[in-house]
Amino acid sequence: MTSAGPTAAESSARAHSWVAHLREGGTTPWLAWAGRPATETGRTGPLPGAQQLELLRRINVAAQLSAQSRGGNDGSSTRLADRVLAAPAAGRGKADLPLVGATAPGFGPRPVDPESVSAHELLRVASVVLADDLVALGADPVRTSWPRPWRRRFRLVGDPVLVGALREDLLARGRPEGGPRPFLVAVGAPLDDLLARTWTQRCFESGTKPWAEWLRFWRERDQLPARADLVASVRRWNARRPLVRIVTDLDQLPRQVGVRHLPDVRVPGADQAELARRVAAVVGLKVPAPERPALMRTLQRRIPDHGVAPVGVPTREREWVASSAERMTRSITRAGYSVVGDLADLAPRTAPSATTGTGADDQQVLDLAIRMVVDPSWRGAGQTEGQVER
Amino acid sequence: MSKRVLLHVGCPKTGTSYLQDVLFRNQSLLREHDILYAADRFDAHFLAALDLMTLPWGGLETEAVGEWDRLADQVRGWHGTAIISHEIFARATPAQVARALASLGDAEVHLVLSVRDLVRQIPAEWQENVKHRSHITYARFLQTIRDPARDSKIGSWFWAVQEVPDILDRWGTSLPADRVHLVTVPPPGSDRGELWRRFSRTFGLDDLPLDLTAERENPSLGVPETSLLRTINQRVTSILAPPDYRPLVRELLAHQTLSRGVASARLGLAPEDHAWAQEMSRSWVEVLAERGYDVAGSLDDLIGTDLGTFADPDTATADELLPPALDAISALLVEAARLRAVEERLHEELREAHEERDRARLTTSYRIRRKVVASLEDSAAGRGTLDAYRRVRRRGAG
Repeated sequence: MTSAGPTAAESSARAHSWVAHLREGGTTPWLAWAGRPATETGRTGPLPGAQQLELLRRINVAAQLSAQSRGGNDGSSTRLADRVLAAPAAGRGKADLPLVGATAPGFGPRPVDPESVSAHELLRVASVVLADDLVALGADPVRTSWPRPWRRRFRLVGDPVLVGALREDLLARGRPEGGPRPFLVAVGAPLDDLLARTWTQRCFESGTKPWAEWLRFWRERDQLPARADLVASVRRWNARRPLVRIVTDLDQLPRQVGVRHLPDVRVPGADQAELARRVAAVVGLKVPAPERPALMRTLQRRIPDHGVAPVGVPTREREWVASSAERMTRSITRAGYSVVGDLADLAPRTAPSATTGTGADDQQVLDLAIRMVVDPSWRGAGQTEGQVER
Repeated sequence: MSKRVLLHVGCPKTGTSYLQDVLFRNQSLLREHDILYAADRFDAHFLAALDLMTLPWGGLETEAVGEWDRLADQVRGWHGTAIISHEIFARATPAQVARALASLGDAEVHLVLSVRDLVRQIPAEWQENVKHRSHITYARFLQTIRDPARDSKIGSWFWAVQEVPDILDRWGTSLPADRVHLVTVPPPGSDRGELWRRFSRTFGLDDLPLDLTAERENPSLGVPETSLLRTINQRVTSILAPPDYRPLVRELLAHQTLSRGVASARLGLAPEDHAWAQEMSRSWVEVLAERGYDVAGSLDDLIGTDLGTFADPDTATADELLPPALDAISALLVEAARLRAVEERLHEELREAHEERDRARLTTSYRIRRKVVASLEDSAAGRGTLDAYRRVRRRGAG
């Protein structure tokens, strides 16, 4: 006679004891979990999904490694664990998945081994945890100083990552954009970079489609997004021709806005942009729409950088990018705008590196997300200074 | 404190749009009878559902911030019966269900689930996917939902909102069976008012003089129309953003134009899929009957009708697609003409505003002042002087 399998109550108790183990910082995978007496768990009610549980386990693994290297534990792990277990998986993907071998109803999604849950699914939960962190942190204050009366009047358009950071820097130095009859300074770059940075910046604003889909959207329309189209950007401001400067030589950019030097601006890596894209969608559900841009700017300033390259245009889209760059160059020439630099610099770069690294994979993004959950230093005071420059 | 809350959580494609529209349009009358349907817009409870379930939805989620808590707050503060209704609540996870029920306070919660047979729900859900930008073929859709792994977005969503016993496991476990109400959609060919009568009985709306005019429905499409829409999606979903897709494709083409093809063949299931769907439905009915829920209608309605003639939308011919395609082109041209008229009117208004501005600039004093300002703007000292002047003027004005 064969021995009977565990009863429903035993399976449920084992699952709850695993949850308790994870809440205490445990790292044992579900299938290796032998269980402990039910009286020690003290928890009942619905089990969190496999996504939440596996994310918590991986956070615990990362926290243990981090604690070993730092030699300590900050004691807030249970609070964090409860937040992770309560976080829903954002978006229209899979609902909470039951654990294989735990009590499961005869209906609903098929139970899974949590270790087999994909990075994509874990990211859906991690992005909610990080969005909550960001909302709790609040937006960094905008640095300003008295406007200098003799400043050069300018308005910046073009490369959204660069322009956004410079705008902030100049505002802090008493040189806000605008004013009467400003010079319209359109900051150009090789079009493949310009597209990548336009998408990247969108990720740190309202979120957008994944990089490949976004690029395909514009290629199939044979249009450029508003901020990557320098001529359209100039026309949108109705600027008179003598006051327009198309800048492709960044060394000469400071003079165009009336300063001696400008900070170097870091272009977020593919993993940072992708994580921001996911977080932005959740932040949109947490705060009123007008508050999201400042929060996402805060994330952009504080998100840890681990040296992953920015997204690049994949080979299949390069022909379209090259022809779009040629068209843009022709339009600028025909419009007769002053060019600071060389319009040939708008052509996409041909470096092989730009054609290989097209984006971050889910695992890279998940690693970044887990590091941000485990190490809250990015949320600490004093993280804003020096983040824009490097 | 609300005495009773009727929480209607699904399923999609069971006449929910009509019910919600009736409730929304009759809010005042319902209040007079101590029934609250708290909604300041027809889709208020949809937004509350997005908020509760942290569901981004093509940008609409930004309008949903705090909507669930706001709705729950209104319900808690109501002295009589409150109704909450949206079909996507069906997808809530156990944790979200627990949060939702906890936020309703100590009111007597009744769960309402309107249900329809899988034989009709499967084609209807495919159509709904097609109306939401998908270009998945019908065959692939069926293959996806029949995959027990439910790994795809489509499969996991379909079963989350259509697997009746699972929805009731998630929503109804903490409630006694007599507080769980199933409203079955009557079989095809039934009296048009029968579904409303079942809703009305369940929600306690009998004898109220409600305005039942159908203003907002979610009409179904025929086989060639759905096939055409899917083909259009193949071309446009990658280049048309959701805010443009919603009014132009879903509303104008699907709801206002293609749904008029009432003579077209209706979509059903192929013999093998029909048998599979009915077998699954029978197993559900067995489980539901054991649970002893209150049923408006009959659980047998869930089995679905016998196999009919199957028209395959994946093999619709060009001849079949031509009439709806011409209807679509006509509708789009009429809409383009309307938008051109709007654009023309806006241009006219802008031209008038420019003319008015130019007339104001024709005065001699304006021209002199403009010249002074222009010459001052050319030097740093001049710009400083202008700034100082403007600051003094602002202070004087304040």
